[in-house]
Order: sequence, then structure tokens, then C-alpha cells
Amino acid sequence: MIDFSRVQKELVECGKDVEGSGIKLNIKGDSLARLIGSIPGPIGTPYEGGIFKIDITIPDGYPFEPPKMQFTTKVWHPNISSQSGAICLDILKDQWSPALTLKTALLSVQALLSSPEPDDPQDAVVAQQYLKDYQTFVGTARYWTETFAKASSLGIEDKVKKLAEMGFPEAQARSALDAVGGDENLALERLCS
Amino acid sequence: MASEPDASEISAVFERMVRNRDLTLFLPFIFGLSNAASRREGEDSSPENENEESAQRERIILINPFTQGMVVIDGASSLEALLRDFGRGKGGRPPASKESIDALPCFKIEEGDEGECVICLEEWEAGGEVKEMPCKHKFHPNCVEKWLGIHGSCPVCRYEMPIDEETGKKRDEEDGEERRRRIGREVWVSFSFNGEGRRNENSNQAPSDDSNDS
Ligand SMILES: [Zn+2]
Ligand SMILES: [Zn+2]
Repeated sequence: MIDFSRVQKELVECGKDVEGSGIKLNIKGDSLARLIGSIPGPIGTPYEGGIFKIDITIPDGYPFEPPKMQFTTKVWHPNISSQSGAICLDILKDQWSPALTLKTALLSVQALLSSPEPDDPQDAVVAQQYLKDYQTFVGTARYWTETFAKASSLGIEDKVKKLAEMGFPEAQARSALDAVGGDENLALERLCS
Repeated sequence: MASEPDASEISAVFERMVRNRDLTLFLPFIFGLSNAASRREGEDSSPENENEESAQRERIILINPFTQGMVVIDGASSLEALLRDFGRGKGGRPPASKESIDALPCFKIEEGDEGECVICLEEWEAGGEVKEMPCKHKFHPNCVEKWLGIHGSCPVCRYEMPIDEETGKKRDEEDGEERRRRIGREVWVSFSFNGEGRRNENSNQAPSDDSNDS
């Protein structure tokens, strides 16, 4: 059984310090088992200025088992899968401790953005690029931040989702929106023609 | 390519494995290595291989003749990193021994004691009980017993409790199995030696150009 009273306390605690930490926790549906975390990209990194959303699932054994966390915002980082958003971070695996909280775990994820560990990669392609061509890595990471993690791009994501829900393939919806400068109706027209 | 393993690197790796007695982990396996150079000069004209990037990543192939299984590990950043991953204890600390848990002293919470049990985040209540670990960190008896039964280390400072030798060993073996499944992007291929054909099972989004049979 999930210790819901603990999760509830954590939500309250985290909410008190949003100003200070920038870390947000929101309930996804009507259960405390699914949450959305969001962290600001650390200053001085290619992630600066972005807001990164993380899907959180609380397992039955919480807090004796780590929460499951996965980026829903696309991010270019050696320890985060550019495909799935899976995170390679020891405290979310075998180094979990019940003294950690969702907030401290999210802070660790934020710290991971600042200090990648390419020798223990989640995404081998990104890690290779980081090691062999650092400048290109920074450029790509920054571009992904601009494209996927900025407030303006969040709007685009919502529109893509809406069009995808109408039955259009996501990639097509995205390129249609791109082509018309983000106007939803024009994109729809384009997709239907 | 710096990470391209050559013969001397491999033999050094084997030497280290012998020294660390990690070799048992590898005995059923035959090592194979494949990389971009050999592939490009080879039969690489099929359209699936137009993706330069995926063709340029190294592959490490492990073959287990007993189970007739083969695992292709794609894009492992280097042989070195892979082996480090194999060798490292990744399952967290095994459970504390029952005796060591039972031996933790119990205290009554006094009026005015401040703080909380960091496991359940409940504040101390006067008259309640706490258990104290050797590192002096205190928790509710139920909370800490449950945790130490899973991992034998202090939630706050990771002080290591004595573990049960037997269960420790068993868990190590299980973890080895688990680790093997988790590393890199793996493509599991079952094949049979008597030519019954083979199935190709793609465990995740690793590039599918591994099967060059058509
Ligand atoms: Zn407690
Ligand atoms: Zn301690």
C-alpha cells in the first residue's frame, strides 16, 4: 500500500517552497499515485530557461521503493533517453532511501542536468556526442530546450496533442503546425487537404 | 576511434577479471566485437544501413552456447564502461541481518522531543517509541524494521548494518542477472545451431540492422 499520508505531506511541503526551489508537484488525475513534477533548467547550462516536466508514478511500496520518474519534456542529455525520457540516476534505483522525498529526488534530477555523467549513459548516442563533440552537444541540447521546454513551445505541444487526438499522426501534426507558424486552424486545413 | 577496443585492451580486461574473480560471470559467454569499420567494408549496401550514426556505434556481442542465446549490446560507450557496469554491485545494500535489527535499542519519546521520523514524515509524539541505529539516527520501530528488511543501511547517513552472509550472496547472484538484462540497448536473438532458423526479438528501440539475413 502506498503511504498516501506521506505523499500528501510531501505535496504540502513542496508547495510551500515553490518560490525558493522552482520545483513544482501537481496531481495528475484523481489519485495521489500519479503526479507531474516540473523543474527549471539550471542556470548556466544548455537547459537554462526551459521548464522540464517529469511524469511521476508512486509505486505500492513507496517510500520503501523509489518513485518512478520519466521526462515527458524531450531533453538532450547523456543520462536521459532522448526517445523515452527514461532517467539514469542511482537514487531513483538502488541508491534510493526513504529519507529522500519527491522534492529532493526532483532536485537530484535537476542536479543531473547540471552535471551529466557520460560514462554511465542512458542514451548512448547523446553520450558519444558529449564526449567526442562537446560543442555540437551543447548546441543540440540548447535547441531541444528552445523547441520543447520553453513556454511558447509548450503551447505547440498542446496543439500537437489536440491534433493527434483528432487522429492525425503526431509527426505530421507537428510539421503542419511548423509550416503555418503554429496556427491551429491553418494546420488542420493543411492536414485535411 | 578512442574507444575501439583492441587486442591488448581486451586481454588487460580479462586479466583484471581474473584478478577480481569476476570471470565466472563471463564463462558461458563468447565475446564478439563489431564496429563501424568492419561493417562498412562488409555487406553494408542494404538500405537499412543508410543511418550513418547507428552503423558507427560499437557493438559488443555475447554468445551463450548453452542456452543458445546471443545478446548484442548496442552503443555501449566502451568495453571498459560495460565491464565496470557488470562488475559493480548495483542492487543496493542487502537486508540487515535479523539479529542486528532485533538488537537495536528502543527509546520512549519524551515530552518536548522535536523532530520527525523521516520514513513516514510523522512528527514525534510524546510517549511513543523510537528505535535508534548505531549511527544515532532514530525512526519508528515499524518504519525502520521494514526498511532494514529491504536494505541494510541507514536511510539518512547510509551507515551499513551487518548483513546475513547467505542472503547477501544470493542477492548478488540475482543482481548479476538483473544487471545483465539492464545494460545498454540490448537486442536479444535466439538462434539454434541445427539450422532451424532464428527469431529476432527486439527488446527496445535499438536499430534493427543487426539481422543481416534476408
Ligand atoms: Zn515512521
Ligand atoms: Zn544514520
